[in-house]
Amino acid sequence: MIGFDIVGFMISWLTLFGIYAILSLTLNLESGTAGITNFGKVVFYGVGAYISATLTTYLVLMLNGVNVGEKPPYSVDGIILLGELGNKNPLLNIGLLVLSLVLAFIIAGVLGYLLTYPILRVGPAFVGFTLLSSGELLRIFLQHYEPVGASKGLMAIPTPFGWVAESRVREAAYLCLVLGLLALTYVVTYKLVNSPLGRTLRALRDDEIAALCLGKHVPRIKATVLFIGSGFAGMAGVLLAYYLTSVNPNMFVPAVTFNVWAMIILGGFGNLKGSLVGAAIVTFVDRALTFITPQLGITVISPDYLRWVIVGLLIVVVLIVNPKGLFPEKPIKTPAIDVVLEELRGGSK
Amino acid sequence: MSVILEVRDVAKYFGGVKALDGVSLTVPERGLIGLIGPNGSGKTTLFNVITGFYVPDRGSVLFRESNDLVRIDGLNPNEVFKKGIVRTFQIPRLFNSLTVLENLLVTPLGQKGENPVRALFRNSWSKQERELASKAIELLKTFNMLHYVNSKISELSAAHIKMLETIRGLMTPAKLYLLDEPAAGVDYAMARELFTYVRKLRDEHNLTFFIIEHRLEILMEYVDYVYVLHNGKLLSEGKPQEVISDPKVIEAYIGV
Repeated sequence: MIGFDIVGFMISWLTLFGIYAILSLTLNLESGTAGITNFGKVVFYGVGAYISATLTTYLVLMLNGVNVGEKPPYSVDGIILLGELGNKNPLLNIGLLVLSLVLAFIIAGVLGYLLTYPILRVGPAFVGFTLLSSGELLRIFLQHYEPVGASKGLMAIPTPFGWVAESRVREAAYLCLVLGLLALTYVVTYKLVNSPLGRTLRALRDDEIAALCLGKHVPRIKATVLFIGSGFAGMAGVLLAYYLTSVNPNMFVPAVTFNVWAMIILGGFGNLKGSLVGAAIVTFVDRALTFITPQLGITVISPDYLRWVIVGLLIVVVLIVNPKGLFPEKPIKTPAIDVVLEELRGGSK
Repeated sequence: MSVILEVRDVAKYFGGVKALDGVSLTVPERGLIGLIGPNGSGKTTLFNVITGFYVPDRGSVLFRESNDLVRIDGLNPNEVFKKGIVRTFQIPRLFNSLTVLENLLVTPLGQKGENPVRALFRNSWSKQERELASKAIELLKTFNMLHYVNSKISELSAAHIKMLETIRGLMTPAKLYLLDEPAAGVDYAMARELFTYVRKLRDEHNLTFFIIEHRLEILMEYVDYVYVLHNGKLLSEGKPQEVISDPKVIEAYIGV
């Protein structure tokens, strides 16, 4: 029996969980709370990943005096040079991380706003289709765009903690970074949901026409939510690129979006804790299969197919038992609840 | 009495159908004005034009802003609401996943906590939120609905749903209320109670009501002036008693 590396498993599962949970929390804000059918989560995830990959590989080479015209990062020479130069300067690597996160948030966020503002007036189905096809357009574009490596993508991306010699420490440090950003995402989405904005978002979801009649600027509010959600998805993309140290167009297929949808359907529409649990379950299935399959020696069935079967079955079972998911939506918590309680208590005296 | 709403020669066509064909009317401030007419006469279309859901093919809609009448046709529904016009629907449109309290709280404009950046800092909006909650509770008390404060909309009766749809406007400084069939689906006693409240609101809050209603026996008792639409045109107007005895109106309603 081959030994099972439990620590290694936990680190890889939790890192993947952290990245996906950022996507599921923000998708739940957009689709669960605000009712925007975002079938293009992968667009903003991919944009974030490519921003950090491109920025990091090019800047590391350029700042080390390499002529990227002759030896671009996607060429064999470039990849070798990245391996040699990539982890020399810790400050540079961390600086690039911060820069990537900021740029990914802004660019993915603005893209989310611009892609959706014009179509939000037309209706929810169109938003879904437009975002879904935008993802495919982006992927096809990346496949043919030479400066980001076309179909091969970018490899040997220098990572923020690449300069740490001990691999376990490096992985643990990266996990802390991922969980830190996840905590930030949770706090932001939680505060937004439990605020007058969150109440307005639920109102838009329930009845757009009525919200419009109450003076709400429906397209602008929805586009703003997509700015926030897409910005965080961009940051998740940055984390993915550094985690895998490579990006290529085939990582950003529509299935990624639907994987995140599976998480929020499992966990419960409009419930943020549910999104965390959903992300934990789906990524656990994914990691567990990847870890266990080679050890069992099974080669007939690809873990990739089994993953879809298991997640599909889980959704069916959960929805039969509880149609609202594992954790149904909770009432909004604002100080108004306290005012009501004071009033009702005062009245009963 | 000064005019709060003026509709000038408004026409709205859907292909060959003339839903509205040159309608002109005025609603005075603090009026309780009825709008009646057989099915398909254009009543709801007129409301849709006034509230910005349709742009009229001809004519204009004017609304009082301080001392002037300004054009509001062509504005979006959310902008019309900001001018101070609240409307209700034939089939009430409330927010079903929100509680009664939340349905009231969602209404006011200019809530600090609706700004995504401010929403993150509870201290910047919690005072306003508490004030709005107190105001909402006062409203629910006034209309004997306090015990429903935390109820979901699905737990309310038809009459209470209509009532809530109307009184949520009171969370804002709106002046003109367009009610589309408030008594439909409500039993006789409750419908009368509803109209009594409407009259009380007009008297105590200086509001103006423009009401579409099919149940004439109730409407005529409360309104002070009535417009009658027929085939997209104004057929008759006047005090309730004059209108109801107008042979043209009787003919349109009995229809031959």
